[in-house]
Amino acid sequence: MLSEKAKKEIEAAMQKYPNKRSAVMDALRIAQQDGGGHLEKPDMEEIGRMLDMRLVEVNAAAAFYTMYKINKPIGKYHIQVCRNISCSLLGAEHLIKHMEKALNVKTGETTSDKKFTLSTVECLGSCGTAPMMQINDDFHENLTEQKIDELLRKLE
Amino acid sequence: MEKILLKNLDKPDAHKIENYIQYGGYKAFESALKLKPDNIIQMVKDSGLRGRGGAGFSTGLKWSFIPKDPTIAKYLCCNADEGEPGTFKDRGIIDNDPHLLIEGMAIACYAIGASNAYIYIRGEFAFGANRLDAAIKEAYAKGYLGKNIQGSGFNLNMYVHRGFGAYICGEETALLESIEGYRAQPRKKPPFPALAGLYGKPTVINNVETLSCIPAIIEKGPEWFSKIGPEKSPGPKIYCVSGHVKRPGLYELPMGTTARDLIYNHCGGMLTDKPLKAVIPGGVSAPMLTPKDLDTPLDFDSLAAKGSMLGSGAVVVMDESTCMVKTAYIVNRFFSHESCGKCTPCRDGTPWLTNVLRRIEHGEGKPGDVELLESLCTNIFGRTFCPLGDGAVMALRGALKNFREEFQYHIDHKRCMVSGR
Amino acid sequence: MVTVKINGKEITVEDNTLILDAARDAGYDIPTFCYQADLVGVGSCRMCLVEIEGQKKLQPSCVTPVLHGMSINTETQQVMSARSSMLEFLLANHAMDCPVCDKGGECELQDMVYKFGPHTGRHSEPKFKFHEKDYQLSPVIIKNSNRCVQCMKCVRVCREVVGANVLGALGRGDHQEPSSFFRHFLDCDQDGNCIEVCPVGCFMRLPYRYQARPWDLKGSDTICSYCGVGCRMVIEQRDGVVLRAKAQLGVGLNSETLCARGRFGFDFVNHPERLTTPLIRKSGRLEPATWEEAINTIVENVRSTNGAHIGGIASPRLTNEELYLFQKLIRGVLRSPNIDSTSRWEQNAVESYVAATGMNEGGVSVFDCLEADTVLVIGSHLSDENPVTDYIVRRISANRRMNLIIASPRAMKLDSSANTLLRHNPGTENAVLNSLALGVFAANADKLANNDSVKALKDSRIEDLLTLAGVKDSEINTIAQKLHASSTVSIIAGTEFLRFPEGTIGLAALKNILKSLGKKVLVMPTLDRANQRGAWEMGVHPNFGPGYSELREKGRGVDGMLLAAQNNQLDVLYVIGSDIASMYPEQELAVSALQKVKFLVVQDMFLTDTAKLAHVVLPGSSFGEKDGTFTNQEGRAQLIKKLLPTPGKAKKDIDIIRAIGEHFDRSFGPKNALLVLDEIRKEVPMYKDVNLLFNNRKNTENKLDNKASLVAAADSAALSIGEFKTKVERKTPDAPFQLVTGNHLFHSGKYSRMSRTLLGLVQGGEVEISEEDANSLGLKNGDRVKVRGRAYEATLTLRTKRGTKSGVAFIGENFDDAPIGKFFRRGDDIPRVGITKA
Ligand SMILES: Cc1cc2nc3c(=O)[nH]c(=O)nc-3n(C[C@H](O)[C@H](O)[C@H](O)COP(=O)(O)O)c2cc1C
Ligand code: SF4
Ligand code: FES
Repeated sequence: MLSEKAKKEIEAAMQKYPNKRSAVMDALRIAQQDGGGHLEKPDMEEIGRMLDMRLVEVNAAAAFYTMYKINKPIGKYHIQVCRNISCSLLGAEHLIKHMEKALNVKTGETTSDKKFTLSTVECLGSCGTAPMMQINDDFHENLTEQKIDELLRKLE
Repeated sequence: MEKILLKNLDKPDAHKIENYIQYGGYKAFESALKLKPDNIIQMVKDSGLRGRGGAGFSTGLKWSFIPKDPTIAKYLCCNADEGEPGTFKDRGIIDNDPHLLIEGMAIACYAIGASNAYIYIRGEFAFGANRLDAAIKEAYAKGYLGKNIQGSGFNLNMYVHRGFGAYICGEETALLESIEGYRAQPRKKPPFPALAGLYGKPTVINNVETLSCIPAIIEKGPEWFSKIGPEKSPGPKIYCVSGHVKRPGLYELPMGTTARDLIYNHCGGMLTDKPLKAVIPGGVSAPMLTPKDLDTPLDFDSLAAKGSMLGSGAVVVMDESTCMVKTAYIVNRFFSHESCGKCTPCRDGTPWLTNVLRRIEHGEGKPGDVELLESLCTNIFGRTFCPLGDGAVMALRGALKNFREEFQYHIDHKRCMVSGR
Repeated sequence: MVTVKINGKEITVEDNTLILDAARDAGYDIPTFCYQADLVGVGSCRMCLVEIEGQKKLQPSCVTPVLHGMSINTETQQVMSARSSMLEFLLANHAMDCPVCDKGGECELQDMVYKFGPHTGRHSEPKFKFHEKDYQLSPVIIKNSNRCVQCMKCVRVCREVVGANVLGALGRGDHQEPSSFFRHFLDCDQDGNCIEVCPVGCFMRLPYRYQARPWDLKGSDTICSYCGVGCRMVIEQRDGVVLRAKAQLGVGLNSETLCARGRFGFDFVNHPERLTTPLIRKSGRLEPATWEEAINTIVENVRSTNGAHIGGIASPRLTNEELYLFQKLIRGVLRSPNIDSTSRWEQNAVESYVAATGMNEGGVSVFDCLEADTVLVIGSHLSDENPVTDYIVRRISANRRMNLIIASPRAMKLDSSANTLLRHNPGTENAVLNSLALGVFAANADKLANNDSVKALKDSRIEDLLTLAGVKDSEINTIAQKLHASSTVSIIAGTEFLRFPEGTIGLAALKNILKSLGKKVLVMPTLDRANQRGAWEMGVHPNFGPGYSELREKGRGVDGMLLAAQNNQLDVLYVIGSDIASMYPEQELAVSALQKVKFLVVQDMFLTDTAKLAHVVLPGSSFGEKDGTFTNQEGRAQLIKKLLPTPGKAKKDIDIIRAIGEHFDRSFGPKNALLVLDEIRKEVPMYKDVNLLFNNRKNTENKLDNKASLVAAADSAALSIGEFKTKVERKTPDAPFQLVTGNHLFHSGKYSRMSRTLLGLVQGGEVEISEEDANSLGLKNGDRVKVRGRAYEATLTLRTKRGTKSGVAFIGENFDDAPIGKFFRRGDDIPRVGITKA
């Protein structure tokens, strides 16, 4: 169930558009944040009610975009390493392997303490400072193995 | 060259409105409000500005297609989806100088008669989206947005719409679908957005960099602008350089700077002593150039003449250590991952290409695979619904054309020609 | 008009014609997947690419209109290679399990690959699979997404035509899958139109699963036997069992659509309880008998009976030919004026309804109706009662910006297409129409000074009408404005006018007023039985003869006959296909009356409650076992065609009626349905020129609208609007809801209850109220509730609907655990009920 705060935010988002449906992306994002990083069916049902959308339309909107995690719980820190061309040219694969070793998970998995989820992503628009990754909302650039180790150590 | 787009990048806290104004911001908007909208459109036309989102269409002309009927609502959408791998210029502006974009948009809205504008920003740019939200708030507070702006009678609302992970949202009609709350699949054209765009209303869609050129055109005049760079595609251009160079990053230079100049002078040359093997001049959809083409000016027409394109101006530099099969695989994997699913050739063709490329790369290539790739390219190219599928093919064809023997080697020897592994 | 060249051949077509249509007109077929004439074009599958001279890229012909002077090539090397390459891409991830696919043999993908190649496979990569096992989407839909070609016609038909909007595309790229919310069971109309439009074996009929290969099926192109829309469909059988009903694109006014009843409700035909032999009551029990015995028993009992003490009731599901002969038997041979076709409507209500809707003025095409500036739907829950009309209205109103006004106490699916909604109290159509008439009058006082209808309204006070109807002044004004501003107005008037005939007064008045203002007014009745209109036009009604001809003496209708029986004044009653004992409002009365009939003959497919009381039971036929015609609600006469023989010793109804008739008059009836039709053409001028041969195939001119099949105006008709007054029980705190009834989406009449498939779609009886009322009672959708009326109480499942008028409860007809007839009392009262949690 959505928190009151999330509902308020969704209502605010609805003000941006001439129709309710347009707020569906914001609503899903807010709900995902509210739900600790992933979406579940009841969230979508509630969004459908708020926005007067058929449930399948909410589902379809959510399932189109990769950043909505439907029924995929995510660790406290979602580490997304870019594997597209510029990062790859500068050694993204090594970093991903390094990360898998450091966290003891495979790409796509979450650590057993639910702290980290490791994923790969396509280009995040940070190619001039490749290789890079994103942890939750923050970009970390010009990565090296040492830098990564330090970062991981600092994350609580 | 005097910087226009990135001029505030190294100034402290340019994202705050007081500072932006202090650096000379919002003057252009104020003087634009004193002009007739049609005059502004004419100025933009005269400046010769061409869209920086990829296609290079004349911005003034695009604006002039918007119907003049004041009773019809109109929209401006800023395309800040910046999804083309290798591209990071729009983010540079948004993160550091958001008011430059807002000012450019405000002028554009005034010119086309739009009173609502959306900035479609990709979901990964959370920082930028927050920056824009804050900057928009400031602009409202200072009377640059909202009702009766600066006493002119012109009203404008501006909103940020966040994408959430779909490259196709950069395609302008998919972007509109996405704002409307549907799955972001491209719409058929015609009708073009200028007549029936967002919510069925006349809509202009412009790239961040395009809109950020507008204040300077108003301030310094179209003629000044049109004198920068080549006659047919004038103006400043932000090149996004990444890959194997010493100093990757954003470079604002006159349109038409050559690849050689860019790489060897501005970026300090190759990263190591390994020589250059290939350059992608305009984002991964653009077929690559080889060293013999290094003197090609990086502008719309010169690159088109070479069978490539300027696209978003993302320059990816690769040295001799780069395996072209792997590069092609990575690029193609991206396209098939991002295919929206609407049309058959792209939806089912790009994953097929990816599978074949993956096999070849993994040393499981089969005789005839290169020919298969070529034939699939033929079957996709020009038959897709939107240019994404074509982009995938152009990129692969570029690699196949220039480095066919590398692919064949991979297949015949089950290992990489470059690394030997 | 523009002239273009297609493959060198010059043709001239209308402006904006699609290249695809132009090419087809010119005789060149272009393969398509995503194109569907009745859906908005998307141009996504790329099968239809063609070459336009001067353009670099091939263009999708399904979304590209012709331009003058275009030169188009549809069969070049390039085009052919594009076709085969698209098919190769589609096959890349296709399941290729054709041997076990229900669609095998009639699969569009199969056919196209056969025709255009590729004839060898190059794809050897792992295939993406959506799922391992087929999954069910509803009691009637099973799905295999691995066969999907992503044309999205399922999603589009569900949204654009059906309006249910419960399917969507999930995921993207090659992971895109049309499905439901989290692949859950669908809460929808279950009409299977998604199955119909699917070109491959992705959406499939569950009841038909593994039942037959298509080439083993034998079909018959016929008309659905459920409601009055008159949908054209093909029913197919194998080894004597009907296995499938399907619609045909561009054929019939329904084109490719059907509703759940039509598509899945045919299985009553093969119900194991079908009567297969005549029965005669011997020492209190019904015993099998021969036809000879049965007919002789009837003749003996009838011969000496005075016509005035005989009655005949025949179901509006019989064909015109049967009904015509029945009428001839009852009136002409047995000399009885007592004849009727329905136990549900009162006889004068019917006459008034026929008069008010102007059925005697000839047929009115639904497509013509929807050309009007304003379309008012009133007294009809179209979405449930007349589902395909709902689709037609939705589809047309999406393209035409007419005023679509829906006046109904209950919310309905079609509301989303309307631009004005009115929620009036049940049974107050008269007040609504009168207040509209006053509204129109106010704007045209000078022109209408001498209008009779206006004069009749003199005494009505608008305030009283508004209070009665429970609507606002402003709402009525908005609609009156629209009527006033329109030069053509259509009114779609449904069965509420028969339940609450007072409304016919207002309907006639409004029509008259609008007409006298020079507006073109069309009224289209909507009916819930396939041949209700035909039954009336064949004279199966106590107030008028065939073709609405005037009678010397009016007879008794069902009410009158039951009353007479109650008073021991009905000696013989011959009932065909009508289950009065369970359908009559106020059931007990009906049963006790029927028990008093001295000699009751029931002819039916099943041993109904009525048949159980009979002295002689005759096994009749279903619509799949006979030829003949139905006249739909628009007045369109359409052919039904035999698919199967009757089971056992059962006979075609027409033969039974004739057999009885011939005992009294050797020359009683022509030998077969076609000859009876000839007689109808002679005797009923409305039918003289109806053309049945036309196949309604869609083309640019007729748009599915076969006007030649519409009946003509009656020669003379003396029909009058009756006097009626709707009564409502007083509101009490424990019974705050007004109870209304009508057809449920999955049921109509007795036969739908014999369809196992339809029964599987609803779990027992339901009562529907507004979501708002439910909230205030602390109830929610799906709760079990007690519905308490004055004389009866039932425990039902609660359904809530957003937007239904507060204080209105609905229970559909025909649920065994919700015998609606027990809530109603004889007469027009609207009963009140209370609803509490069970
Ligand atoms: C697949 C695809 C992706 C695109 N992505 C972007 C993008 O990320 N940013 C952008 O500005 N334009 C993008 N475009 C181009 C836009 O469709 C559109 O042409 C552009 O926003 C117009 O703005 P301009 O006239 O200022 O260049 C993309 C086009 C395609 C076909
Ligand atoms: S080419 Fe087709 S499938 Fe690919 S992104 Fe464009 S419309 Fe979607
Ligand atoms: S039929 Fe034209 S693209 Fe599908």
